[in-house]
Amino acid sequence: MKNQLIKIPTILFLSILLVLFYLLVIDRDPSKLPSNLLNKNAPEFVADSLLDNEKFLSKKELNNNITIVNFFATWCAPCREEHVYIKRFSSEKKIKVIGINYKDNPEKAIIWLKKLGNPYSNIAIDKKGKIAIDWGVYGIPETFLINSSGIIKYRHAGQITKKIYKKFNLLIKEIN
Amino acid sequence: MISRNILIATIFFLAQLSYNNCFAVEPNEILENKKQEARARNISKNIRCLVCQNQSIDESSAPLAKDLRNLIREKIKDGDDDKEIYLFLTDRYGDFILLNPPFKLSTFALWFLPFIFFITGVLIIFMHKKKSKWIKKN
Repeated sequence: MKNQLIKIPTILFLSILLVLFYLLVIDRDPSKLPSNLLNKNAPEFVADSLLDNEKFLSKKELNNNITIVNFFATWCAPCREEHVYIKRFSSEKKIKVIGINYKDNPEKAIIWLKKLGNPYSNIAIDKKGKIAIDWGVYGIPETFLINSSGIIKYRHAGQITKKIYKKFNLLIKEIN
Repeated sequence: MISRNILIATIFFLAQLSYNNCFAVEPNEILENKKQEARARNISKNIRCLVCQNQSIDESSAPLAKDLRNLIREKIKDGDDDKEIYLFLTDRYGDFILLNPPFKLSTFALWFLPFIFFITGVLIIFMHKKKSKWIKKN
């Protein structure tokens, strides 16, 4: 009897410890948390455009079309890596892609796009990173999928890899 | 031996003190109005740095933490109250940005499990004592 009274709490304690240890060890990347803006309207903003003399109006740009919004900068190495997939969205899949140039040097950005190719139909300049905060961005690169009613359907924090590119295409098919 | 232990304890104590005093707010960020600055510091201490995750934005020198600190100060200057600022941040980044999880249905277990464990423990001890008394008597 006495033995059992010691056994039960010990087993209980060890199992709690095991659960906590498991939670500690498994890879829980908070950037994989779904965006808090999911299924909400994409935040509106007005900014300078990198390619145009006219102002960038998000209300005008994120309307009537499925759109991919990509936060990027020339100083960000993963942005360069994912650029080939961003290009494939616009050239192969004919999806409208909007760029948001995050805390960057505009002249460098223009040269960078000339060199690597420009998949963006328009680019907003986010000089101080305020648009990014409004969109709940953790760090660039970050890419959002917006449906034709201007609602955020998916957010990927981090570089777009082949796997993520495929996932985006599946989601685009779903919401189309 | 004893003096060595005291020395080690002192070092730990001092390390703890210096840890509590460290913050990353840069001089040019500080607001002139002391009351407003104190409010900004207080909010910043409760906001998680999303890049470093186990630090508050008050302690972190990550660029995003700095941006968020500036944003909080701008909002305070614009006359927003603390509630509005917290709401602005959680609307965009979710409850994850708060270092103190709010009391909600989804966080019920987080807040109450320790009490439940405590009560269960007390009950187990109580029952055990009662039983052993009963065994002794018979």
